[in-house]
Amino acid sequence: MQTIDITLTVNDHQQIIPVKPNDTLLEVVRDYLDLTGSKEGCGEGVCGSCTVILDGHPVRACLTLALEANGSAVTTVEGLADGDTLTLLQQSFIDHGAVQCGFCTPGMLMSAKALLDEDSSPDRQKIRQALSGNICRCTGYAKIVDAVEHAARPEPGCPDCHTKETGGDHD
Amino acid sequence: MRLPQFTYHSPDTLEGVLALLDEHRDNAGVLAGGTDLLVRMKHRLAGPKVLVSLKHLDSLSYIKEMSGMLCIGAKTPIIDVIRSDRVKQQAPALVQACERIGAVSIQHYRGTIGGNILQDNRCIHYNQSQLHRSGRQPCHKDGGKICYARDEADRCNSTCQSDGATALMAMDAHLVLNSTRGEHRVALDGFYTTDGIHPFDMQPDELLTKIDIPVVPGAVSAYQRLSYRSAIDYPIVCAGIRLVPDQKDAGCIGSARIVVGAMSRSPLFLAKVSQSLAGVRFDDNTAFDRAGKDAMNAAATFAAHNAGADLAFRQAMVEKMVGRALEQAAAQVSMKIAR
Ligand SMILES: Cc1cc2nc3c(=O)[nH]c(=O)nc-3n(C[C@H](O)[C@H](O)[C@H](O)COP(=O)(O)OP(=O)(O)OC[C@H]3O[C@@H](n4cnc5c(N)ncnc54)[C@H](O)[C@@H]3O)c2cc1C
Ligand code: SF4
Ligand code: FES
Ligand code: FES
Repeated sequence: MQTIDITLTVNDHQQIIPVKPNDTLLEVVRDYLDLTGSKEGCGEGVCGSCTVILDGHPVRACLTLALEANGSAVTTVEGLADGDTLTLLQQSFIDHGAVQCGFCTPGMLMSAKALLDEDSSPDRQKIRQALSGNICRCTGYAKIVDAVEHAARPEPGCPDCHTKETGGDHD
Repeated sequence: MRLPQFTYHSPDTLEGVLALLDEHRDNAGVLAGGTDLLVRMKHRLAGPKVLVSLKHLDSLSYIKEMSGMLCIGAKTPIIDVIRSDRVKQQAPALVQACERIGAVSIQHYRGTIGGNILQDNRCIHYNQSQLHRSGRQPCHKDGGKICYARDEADRCNSTCQSDGATALMAMDAHLVLNSTRGEHRVALDGFYTTDGIHPFDMQPDELLTKIDIPVVPGAVSAYQRLSYRSAIDYPIVCAGIRLVPDQKDAGCIGSARIVVGAMSRSPLFLAKVSQSLAGVRFDDNTAFDRAGKDAMNAAATFAAHNAGADLAFRQAMVEKMVGRALEQAAAQVSMKIAR
């Protein structure tokens, strides 16, 4: 099948990528760009493990045609850390025990980042709502919500908040 | 899960889209947000050879008020509906319904209001992977001759689980459809066939371009729904209500529209039950309870056992959804009067 070139800015790098019409954005980032952080859990929109940020908004990469993303900017979980330096949000996930098997984590991080980019101090209800499209089979969610909350507002005296001195910047 | 093969077009103009739909007809599929269509294509339940994307048709994404109508472009993303002050004021039930669709990261940014209305009907026996379905005979909707949801059924009773359509029907919305043949307008409550295989009275060359909601002075509306999980899952019962105050006595209901969703092949506008509320006072909760029961009795016969939950439970919950939506709508009237 013939390929069509699309322009995609992936984690701040603009690239030209040949795609087939029936390639999803998830297939392109995982299989063509080797960015295997985004996961395919269900492939049908239910689980959220494929969540990426497309032009500033969280979307299901498994339900987005690569061709539809032509000309857009995509951030995947690989685009968060600066080399080995994790973002506050990522560190908070580790500190608060929000990662168990880790399969849902990339999607959770992207949904959480999209929320924090829009609202730097969301309340718990807002965090839960923003993460409500992401399924986790391990943690029971409470620790994930804690992690996002403490990334937004490191709590003085929280024994887990490794990040308490820095605070504020979640990129 | 791979998608099947197709060719892809993303015309820059409405005329370009309509010309492609006219050329390819049954072989064409309209791609809005894709959050319904692409799943069905992955399951091999839909296989359009030509996908016509609305990606560049930004002219179909708007919310405005014109000649007594709240007009919403078919391609307007769900998030824009949720965040619109205009919709909040004029059609609060639609905001409530859109907030409940799936989840933020599934539809709010990619899913559209047009796609929400035109998503295909669903059934737990049908919306399954190809592998799952390959283990047994195909049902009516899958090209076969039996139904797993209702014994001996000679036709498909798949369920319309659109949150948006239920709320919109309560507000007496109309749809505007365009094709190379011209434009026509249909009332949403007259837009459905009685065939679960092809639920919409729409031609393959037609594009939904606009949704019109009449702005009725003093009208209030509310939407209630039940689903397994509050996010991700489709509604298993829902209700949309619009109440218009009586012109002479603002404390009384002049006219009501009660619509029950996720119980049939289309949202059900219950004309008789709605009429029974004319003249009822806005604080008459006993009348609302009665209307809830009547709605349950009217809607129950339509439902097939195909949305997951126990059928009797879904039927019983019609009463609650209608009752709650009525009380919620009526409460807005007292708030308006207090202001
Ligand atoms: C996990 C999951 C959960 C979901 N939960 C819900 C839920 O709770 N409630 C709910 O209502 N929906 C739900 N959905 C279904 C769907 O995501 C939404 O209905 C969404 O709003 C569909 O919009 P879309 O733009 O993505 O539609 P698309 O998939 O692009 O289109 C849907 C259908 O309409 C046709 N179409 C779209 N636009 C037009 C147009 N302008 N003219 C002609 N035809 C058109 C398409 O060809 C297709 O057949 C869910 C989906 C998933 C995957
Ligand atoms: S209602 Fe019956 S025919 Fe229709 S999709 Fe379900 S099992 Fe198939
Ligand atoms: S893989 Fe995309 S939602 Fe599950
Ligand atoms: S950590 Fe295992 S699924 Fe969330």
